[in-house]
Amino acid sequence: MIGDIITILIVGAMISAIYALIAIGFTMVFGVGGVLNLTHGVLLMAGAYTFMVAYPYVGRIGGVIAGVLVAAVSSYAIYMGLVRYIEDNVVITFMATILAALAIQEATTMGFSQQARILPSLLPGSIAVAGTRIQYDQILAFVLSWVLIGLLWYYIKRTKNGRAILATSMSERGAIFTGVDLPKVRRQTWLIAGAFAGVAGIFIGRLQQTSPEMWLEPLTLAFIIVIIGGVGSIKGSIIAAYLIGYLETLTVELIGAPYRTVVALLVIIAVIMYRPEGLYGREYLE
Amino acid sequence: MSNKYDSSGEPVLQRLSREFLGEPNRYQIGAVSAALIALLTLPFWGARYQYVFALASIWAIFAMGWDIISGHTNYISFGHSALSGGAAYTTGILIYNVDPGLPMSITFPLSVLAAVAIGLLFAAPTLRLKGPYFSLITLVAVLVLTQLVYIYGQYTGGELGITAVETLTYNFTEMYYYSLLPMLLIGAVLVVVSQSNIGRILRAIGENEEAIESAGIDTTKFKLWAFLLSSITMGIGGAMLAHFYGNVDPTTVLVIDRSLEMVAMAVLGGMGTIAGPLGGAFVFVFLRDEVLTTFGSTGRWFSLWVLVLLFLVFLRDGLFPFIWSKLGSIGGSDDE
Repeated sequence: MIGDIITILIVGAMISAIYALIAIGFTMVFGVGGVLNLTHGVLLMAGAYTFMVAYPYVGRIGGVIAGVLVAAVSSYAIYMGLVRYIEDNVVITFMATILAALAIQEATTMGFSQQARILPSLLPGSIAVAGTRIQYDQILAFVLSWVLIGLLWYYIKRTKNGRAILATSMSERGAIFTGVDLPKVRRQTWLIAGAFAGVAGIFIGRLQQTSPEMWLEPLTLAFIIVIIGGVGSIKGSIIAAYLIGYLETLTVELIGAPYRTVVALLVIIAVIMYRPEGLYGREYLE
Repeated sequence: MSNKYDSSGEPVLQRLSREFLGEPNRYQIGAVSAALIALLTLPFWGARYQYVFALASIWAIFAMGWDIISGHTNYISFGHSALSGGAAYTTGILIYNVDPGLPMSITFPLSVLAAVAIGLLFAAPTLRLKGPYFSLITLVAVLVLTQLVYIYGQYTGGELGITAVETLTYNFTEMYYYSLLPMLLIGAVLVVVSQSNIGRILRAIGENEEAIESAGIDTTKFKLWAFLLSSITMGIGGAMLAHFYGNVDPTTVLVIDRSLEMVAMAVLGGMGTIAGPLGGAFVFVFLRDEVLTTFGSTGRWFSLWVLVLLFLVFLRDGLFPFIWSKLGSIGGSDDE
């Protein structure tokens, strides 16, 4: 019994840490540009597949760096090549990004086939805690997640460039008045979001699956997490990521894996009904 | 034909047609008539396209069903296949689990009812809210429904689906008319709704919902009615699709890609116009099943999504409104 509880606590923490990375990027792009970026899930895929391709040539660490770089650059490219021209229209952006995601999914299928792949582990080995095997990869994901969140926190609180991001997400007009270079801030946000997604993508690809369809479920989760946490709030998405991560772990342990989405749906409907602005956010006003 | 309420002296029929169709010039009337005649006589000149266009007719129903809510109000649904798929599955499940001999007069209405129930279950709570919440719920609704199909595999046939549904006919010509005529009927009804004051309010909600609300109009009520109409349409189409294939499985009727195909058809044809998505469905299905197959099974999807994306970015209003206005401006008769 206590063993089970410890298992749930640990496994939940590991998966939640990855969800937090995904949701933070998603919410930053939304908070700063007002863009709901539905290609966010595709960036995970970019990270995972790049790692898979690069790993035999440049090793594990090189593969991770390549994956993160490619995801960040892809994110930047999606912004500069597509979203920049249509971001004035929320609905068009919304639909364009999901169509782009589908196109990229098909392109991935053309390049790598429909087949799900298995990524090599980053830190081989595992450790037994209270009767549960925890892979070192899971621990690495947890640690890396918090290191990155710490770095991001330092960046947006303590550096000039970072504070411009924070200011823009609070009030775009106010930020412009204080001399913030808005296009630059947006480009930066997309780069950071892409890099975070790249890291998360490698772990999702490693611990769950790497396939051309791997973008949809994490994207939906990011969407749910961001709405529960409050759109634009980084703190909110971290807390909501852990909420959803634990809920998912509990559902899998107690009811069964296929019910994950069903439970998540019930929670999201309850939250939307009673607290549409989320835990820490502003209500979405168009 | 004039009475004391009709002081303009304009014939009633002409007034009605102006109300719903505007004042098309002869090129526009000619184009629409030519398209209609072409559709109705297809088996006589393009018999080898009967199957594809029968399928396109059913997809046109879906595209129009999507359009009457999402295209008009800008409440973008990414999950309309939950409604059509729900109806298709109701037909399948009834025949598979209850009685293989159930007549269509029972399964068909029940399937439409199922679509309405699913629609109200997911949309009623979220249509009150603004922005992306509605899209999120519809997106998750499809995922949940797909998941439920796998969980209750003993009733739904799981991944393989149900093949017990009776196909209406094996004659392609009959099948074509069985799909085309209901589609045109539904299209006519939806065009009337879209051109009436209700349609105008729906489009105004898409433009600026606050403004409509401050005019004292209960926008939620309008959105709900539109969604109800949309669900019924999707239900009819879904049940038709089940009988068209004689087969109900997640990939052909339910998964998220099917929902996004509806979005793509509407975008291609012209959102918010009913006739646009109708035409968009024909263009989309024709490209998908006849033209782009040259790129291979995944290549055609890639080229299709890129094409729709280009339309979204460069021709936001869609193909058919563009053609319509080009026709309208021939000879400088464009009086707008």
